[in-house]
Amino acid sequence: MLLSPSDSDERKGAPFLYSKILEYEGITEYKLDSNDLKILLCEQRAAPVVAFMVVYRVGSRNEAVGHTGATHLLEHMLFKGTPTYNKRRGTQIAAVLQKHGAVFNADTWLDRTRYFEMLPSDQLELAVHLEADRMRNSFIADEDRQLEMTVVRNEMERGENDPGRILDERIWAAAFREHPYHHPTIGWRTDVEGMPTSRLKEFYDTYYHPNNATAIVVGDFDSAAALELIARHFGPIPPSPQPIPPMYTVEPPQQGEIRFVLRRAGQLGLVEMAWHIPEATHPDSGALAVLDHILSAGVTSRLYQGLVETQLAVDVGAQAYQFTDPGLFTIDLTLSPGIGHADAEKAVGEVIEQLKREPVGEKELQKARNLITTQMIFLRDSPFGVVNVLGESEGVSDWKLYVDLPRMVTAVTAADIQRVVNTYFDDDNRTVGYFIPKEEQS
Amino acid sequence: MKTSSDLRFAARTRRHQLSNGLTLLVLENHANPTISLSGTFRAGEFFNPSGKDGLASLTASMLNKGTSRRTKIEIAEELESTGARISFSSNTFTVSVSGQSLSQDLPMLISTLAEELRGPSFPADELDKLKQRVIASIREDLDETRVRAYERMTQVIFPHGHPYHRPSGEHLIREIESIGVDDVRGFYETYYGPGSLIMVIAGDVDDHRVVDLIEKSFGDWKGPEPPLIDLPYTDLQTKPYRESIQMRDKANCDVVIGHASRLRRLNHDYLPAVIANRALGQSTISSRLGLILRDEMGLTYGINSSFSESGIADGPFTIGVTIAPENIDLAIDTTLQIVGDFIREGIREEELADEKSSIAGAFQVGLATNGGMANQISSIELYGLGIDYLDRFPDIVKAVTKEEVDEAIRKYIHPEVVTTIVAGTFE
Repeated sequence: MLLSPSDSDERKGAPFLYSKILEYEGITEYKLDSNDLKILLCEQRAAPVVAFMVVYRVGSRNEAVGHTGATHLLEHMLFKGTPTYNKRRGTQIAAVLQKHGAVFNADTWLDRTRYFEMLPSDQLELAVHLEADRMRNSFIADEDRQLEMTVVRNEMERGENDPGRILDERIWAAAFREHPYHHPTIGWRTDVEGMPTSRLKEFYDTYYHPNNATAIVVGDFDSAAALELIARHFGPIPPSPQPIPPMYTVEPPQQGEIRFVLRRAGQLGLVEMAWHIPEATHPDSGALAVLDHILSAGVTSRLYQGLVETQLAVDVGAQAYQFTDPGLFTIDLTLSPGIGHADAEKAVGEVIEQLKREPVGEKELQKARNLITTQMIFLRDSPFGVVNVLGESEGVSDWKLYVDLPRMVTAVTAADIQRVVNTYFDDDNRTVGYFIPKEEQS
Repeated sequence: MKTSSDLRFAARTRRHQLSNGLTLLVLENHANPTISLSGTFRAGEFFNPSGKDGLASLTASMLNKGTSRRTKIEIAEELESTGARISFSSNTFTVSVSGQSLSQDLPMLISTLAEELRGPSFPADELDKLKQRVIASIREDLDETRVRAYERMTQVIFPHGHPYHRPSGEHLIREIESIGVDDVRGFYETYYGPGSLIMVIAGDVDDHRVVDLIEKSFGDWKGPEPPLIDLPYTDLQTKPYRESIQMRDKANCDVVIGHASRLRRLNHDYLPAVIANRALGQSTISSRLGLILRDEMGLTYGINSSFSESGIADGPFTIGVTIAPENIDLAIDTTLQIVGDFIREGIREEELADEKSSIAGAFQVGLATNGGMANQISSIELYGLGIDYLDRFPDIVKAVTKEEVDEAIRKYIHPEVVTTIVAGTFE
């Protein structure tokens, strides 16, 4: 147990203590003894810049009918201020950060909510103080909620302009019937419009506590000084009065293909296909990450060769969405003009069938592994790159997922790839959506 | 850690000029075993011959579609197997080159770049595939409210033939369809060469070694004389104008408000104008426009103003806002009122102090990566500002006065003659 060398004479009470948990691959994990806040530190002294992030383990996964979109709307509300940082005092959160040239924002997704700043390294305390303050002191006022709701509604409407985004939303809603990955993080429109302020406040009071959060610092800082700052500002916050409620809904097996068509105005046809895959901590995650690259990374990838080079599609993507709970592996196509949806889908089927029949060659496998491992090195060019992936891993399960990825990927064999394709890319486990542009009405 | 005097960019950046005109700048940063490459040369859209809009862009995109020595796939195999990347894109005046690799792969990165720049084979089937993809992407843009509104605004405020006058999607598709391999090769032969090429390499490299590699791969490259760019200023509009573009199935509308700015990067009051814009509308969540339309009125997710294309030529001053159809008039009226107040009042002292400190901080944050440094150095070189500009920049920002900013506001922002374009689905 270490003592925070805090200016204890300046404040009342004893300084806050923290414990070192683990040091691994250049990252050190601590926790605050007073409230179980998890802390990750990664010093990188390349430039006088530091990145700070607080990740809360709450996302749209923790929402249900009536308050879908609560995580996201609450994240917007947390820019509305606290008694310390607010517009009336001339200390509005965004303005204060902007003044120091910070790059800052917050984002929400299925499993987590993240608040982050990248700023000159002598301003680390500002970021730490601000995040500690908004963890428990945010105004969640009804008049602010009403105004912010219409801002979010405009954000939602911008998304609705994009057929690809709507198709993707429908895919998740179709593939997940019971589990809350069913609904989009931005929420259903009428839930966002109708959600009372009290419900948002309840959400804040349930999930925004130090024992449900991780604070991450990456860049140009001194570890002892950063720990002292974090202990001083987050230490006084008590842990949650009640345990954080677990989310226990499990999606049952799909048992049969799901298909649908979306018709509205648009220019080019789209196809999206999805298969259920296991949670991020599952042993097959490394193989699925490699498969994602074999299918869609660069012009030499299987789908690019099978669909874009053959002029069936103008664009193709594949993504293994690996989350806290089982997610989806998706493939999406933008069709070339004049190409039928079924023809393009059939070509994807052929690419997959081939992967089921024949093991991938060593050279192709090595290329995919190299791409993943070098991407990890490029990430380290920027403190934000590192804080971003650590934060994402913490949201899904644990930061060591990120650190271990190169090792997991290196261990993936051609037989693993063949096995996961055969295991998960099953017709009964598949959801397929077509976007068909509606003809112009005369 | 190095001593503070070593940290000056002027001391850390080495500038080399090859006899064929190529300018090379190298910044050593050994923090991470990677390198970032950023380059530009003058062969952008401005040089499109009449009737061939899109040719500069197609030519740049054809560079990685095969060379006299190797096919597209062979080159991609080599780059992808090491995680390296080279990409080309065309802008209004220049083509940009961007690359990254592990530092151990720098020789391969440079030789591949030279192979693509110096010996493209322009295969006809690759041009056909590229055209098909480009046309599809233009078709998708036809469906984007923001793109349609912005494009129409540039057509109203810039004369036909001006590089910022964007052709309509349909027109562009017709011209691209008419482009053949001979056009691409002709354009390449007329404009591609080392004369205007600026290449910046930042990262875990040794300066002498980079010079050797560049000399070996590019030293004997000969090309045409670099073209000159001489473009008159665009006159400010004389009266307001408004137009609507009706689209289908759009829940959200985009409004673009703008006029010709007459602001260029090298104007003496460029920085005061940038500060003025930051206070008015650069940030949706902390500038004047956003504080009122988003934070106080809840009307929009995004509202921004910018002098985004003020570079070699003078671009537009624009304000863009996304809005539900029923709020269009309220948003436009409120925006113009805020702009009017800004011109009357000028920048507030605290806004000026905040923006100056913000620029200084953002400058530091932006230079945190090899890519960020390479881009900054490349832009400094393009405008001939001298590398020490980066070291002097914090003081230059500090010296800007309220009078200079207020003068820039009155000179460059003119709500009385704006062109307003609304795109979306409305009654």
